[in-house]
Amino acid sequence: MISKDLSVEFLGVHFENPFLLSSSPVDNCYEMCAKAFDEGWGGVVFKTIGPKHFKINEVSPRFDELTKEGTPFVGFKNMEQIAEHSLEENLHDLRHLKDDYPNKVVIASIMGTNEEDWETLAQLVTEAGADMIEMNLSCPQMTSHEMGSDVGTNPELVKKYCAAVKRGSDLPMMAKMTPNITDMVPAAKASMAGGAVGIATINTVKSVANIDLDRKVGLPIVNGKSSISGFSGKAVKPIALRFLQQLRTAAGLEQLPISGIGGIETWQDAAEFILMGATTLQVTTSVMQYGYRIVEDMKNGLMHYMEDQHVEHLSELIGVANKNIVPAEDLDRDYKVYPKIDWDKCIGCGRCYISCFDGAHQAITWDIKTRRPSIDTSKCVGCHLCNLVCPVGAITTGEVVMKPGTKGNPEDVQIESSRLTHPVQ
Amino acid sequence: MSTKYEKEAPSYTMTTVMEEAARCLLCHDAPCSKACPAGTDPARFIRSVRFRNLKGAAETIRENNAMGAICARVCPTEKYCELACSRTGIDCPIDIGGIQRFVTDYEEQEKMDILRKGDSNGLSIAIVGSGPAGLQTAATLLQKGYAVDIYEKNEKAGGYLRYGIPEYRLPDEIVDVEINRIVNLGAEIKYNVTIGKDVTMADLKADHDAVVVAVGASEAKMLPMFEGNPYVETAVDFLARVKEAKGDIDNIPASAVVVGGGDVAMDVATTLKRLDVKNVTDLVYEEFDEFKASKKELDATQKAGVTIVDGYVPTDVDGNTITFKHRHLDSEMTIKTDLIILAVGQQVNTDNLGVNTDHGEVQHAGYKTDDEKVFFTGDIAQGDKTVVWAVRKGKEVAEEIDQALLGGNK
Ligand SMILES: Cc1cc2nc3c(=O)[nH]c(=O)nc-3n(C[C@H](O)[C@H](O)[C@H](O)COP(=O)(O)OP(=O)(O)OC[C@H]3O[C@@H](n4cnc5c(N)ncnc54)[C@H](O)[C@@H]3O)c2cc1C
Ligand SMILES: Cc1cc2nc3c(=O)[nH]c(=O)nc-3n(C[C@H](O)[C@H](O)[C@H](O)COP(=O)(O)O)c2cc1C
Ligand code: SF4
Ligand code: SF4
Ligand code: SF4
Repeated sequence: MISKDLSVEFLGVHFENPFLLSSSPVDNCYEMCAKAFDEGWGGVVFKTIGPKHFKINEVSPRFDELTKEGTPFVGFKNMEQIAEHSLEENLHDLRHLKDDYPNKVVIASIMGTNEEDWETLAQLVTEAGADMIEMNLSCPQMTSHEMGSDVGTNPELVKKYCAAVKRGSDLPMMAKMTPNITDMVPAAKASMAGGAVGIATINTVKSVANIDLDRKVGLPIVNGKSSISGFSGKAVKPIALRFLQQLRTAAGLEQLPISGIGGIETWQDAAEFILMGATTLQVTTSVMQYGYRIVEDMKNGLMHYMEDQHVEHLSELIGVANKNIVPAEDLDRDYKVYPKIDWDKCIGCGRCYISCFDGAHQAITWDIKTRRPSIDTSKCVGCHLCNLVCPVGAITTGEVVMKPGTKGNPEDVQIESSRLTHPVQ
Repeated sequence: MSTKYEKEAPSYTMTTVMEEAARCLLCHDAPCSKACPAGTDPARFIRSVRFRNLKGAAETIRENNAMGAICARVCPTEKYCELACSRTGIDCPIDIGGIQRFVTDYEEQEKMDILRKGDSNGLSIAIVGSGPAGLQTAATLLQKGYAVDIYEKNEKAGGYLRYGIPEYRLPDEIVDVEINRIVNLGAEIKYNVTIGKDVTMADLKADHDAVVVAVGASEAKMLPMFEGNPYVETAVDFLARVKEAKGDIDNIPASAVVVGGGDVAMDVATTLKRLDVKNVTDLVYEEFDEFKASKKELDATQKAGVTIVDGYVPTDVDGNTITFKHRHLDSEMTIKTDLIILAVGQQVNTDNLGVNTDHGEVQHAGYKTDDEKVFFTGDIAQGDKTVVWAVRKGKEVAEEIDQALLGGNK
């Protein structure tokens, strides 16, 4: 079994590996965190601890899922707020986790309703021995507008509360940002101005996932009604990666330390977040679906990836892809690449033909007798929809042609791609 | 192009293996893993496939089972892991063998080199026989730091992997790859040496710290009435002849009669059909409801076009003409044929090897003999007579030797 050093330094704290449980029911108590540590997680962001005066009263049921064809949990909707356990229990658990697992990282997630709350909570979790603080400025379904994403979208409040936490604690502190905002940069900068040294993102995306068609109510149904609430899991990964990119390319935030969250389930997802600038990785939904054991394949797969990339430390991979994601206006628009069809691989299903006609440029001709498609280059725009729908990977990238009136050598164009040039089959 | 005899069933693609892995329920306390005799841990490697960690999947298989690519192809999974699979509660079990084959093919394609030789402990073990049991014993001992010499009476290694199981089920190339991994770990294989004849057990014991007898049941059984008959060949001789020639044998008969109803008989009958023998008739002592061959093998054989007649025993033979009688019915039939193949079982020969067997196996549990330097494993030890059990027994005898010589400590 491969063995490689997965350790990272994040906000001055050493992590034996970058995989953390994100703050949620997956790390609600001592027992859960202990089991997760035993199964190999590097740290936990303990379920968000609120002020003593804010009473949590949760609904039942509280989850829903988005499915597509045979796949469950494409996305996951939850209506849960912050920790249900008492402040005392939570502090007790934090202390014991740190005592029993000194080499694992215990991060306290906190949320207050005013400056005093934030300061007090920061103090309490610091006394309990937490290694780091994460400010939850992003839960989208709090029953108070003084809390959660309503605060996180208001840079002034963000800065004020971060400063309050700094008054209560010297621990390194990160602010957890909401994706329910057009531009995350002002809120991130405000948190840094208030004393945060890193950003955790994303929290859940506000959603209505499904409607019960007979009852005409959103799901889940809570005594006949439902609410807008947070969406997570695989479906939000693209949204999370987009925010990472925007943060890491904003002026002044190029080296921003990020704890990446949103739809991580495999080592490949993890590697993507790292390449987009995350140093640590947080996970909830896939753990809720499959359990802590998923960390085994994430760690092992990441080690193999490092070996394949000839990399000794994950730090060498952090943010490597940021420079290759550029504004749309900066992309090379001088060429197109035609698809190429391998008739030996083709099984004659005609899906490419249907998609090209109904969703692209009517550039595939279909031979009724042989049941084989061909590309009409006079119509083909090179969008490669056909490539994506082919079930057997018979369509790949073919010839590159320069558009009329442009200079440049087609051979210099880089078209290699794991998706289109080497379609999975 | 491979011939009909050589052609293996198609394997999964990346897309289809993910579809199959997605059917897996990722069970808690997975029953499939508990049911694998060799501890290959299918639930673990299927989970790795599911989470797109093919290299990790390959590590799990290889570290648990040095014959991983072979078991993927020849395991009677319907008796072991797939019998236990929870998915049966919904429809049909996960195709564990198929997924294992995909992963081990990937391992080879990526030229992964997973097993590591242990730091030398200065001890040396002789293994008699290079079948799956001997090979697994070698792999486990080498990883623990022992030096290993394997003595094989044949020209090539592998036992029945090499000379028994037909090419279309187990390509020779796969056997080579698996054996090479063990040679690369440091096993020395000495060919064309029959222990007990060319070299004595006493010699082996003098040169090694322990000797493991893993000779399998490598000789064919004969029925007295067929002795010396020029039309008669034994199943294992026939299968070895065809496999060595990659199916390109002389004098393909127009018809053949197979006597026997186990998996070996099914392999012979199917091989004959793949060689384009027009009429292949298999006469079986058992009736269908008491059949020995696995359902899978029986179905495949019937699909190949073999006529199987159940409940008959041969009572007389005159050259190429055999008479059969039904065991219970008043029925007799006489068949004239070009080739008669006897698939009535294999027997053990442990002459001069210091191991006593009766009815094909040592009559006590475990792997030890009265001589503290001599151990045995594989088909001659108690337990199923399959490759995956040979792997299990190989792992277990290696542990027992390690316990005996070093108390399990490095
Ligand atoms: C035709 C056929 C098909 C089969 N199909 C399957 C299948 O699909 N699935 C499955 O799980 N099992 C199958 N089996 C059973 C399986 O092959 C055996 O259980 C397995 O090979 C036993 O392993 P082994 O190492 O104990 O012995 P063997 O494989 O028999 O190997 C013993 C080795 O020892 C060597 N040897 C013997 N005597 C000496 C000596 N004195 N000195 C030196 N070397 C010696 C032999 O040459 C041979 O190489 C099949 C068997 C046959 C015959
Ligand atoms: C049921 C549930 C409860 C959550 N509770 C919290 C919480 O208390 N504090 C917090 O910061 N985030 C909370 N989150 C958000 C997650 O920590 C995480 O940011 C989000 O789910 C995206 O990651 P994922 O796709 O891996 O689930 C919760 C998410 C879920 C699904
Ligand atoms: S998952 Fe557990 S806590 Fe939730 S409803 Fe089911 S049994 Fe109850
Ligand atoms: S989608 Fe692929 S397999 Fe189907 S017709 Fe087109 S090229 Fe052939
Ligand atoms: S028993 Fe079947 S469904 Fe369950 S883990 Fe094993 S292969 Fe998957």
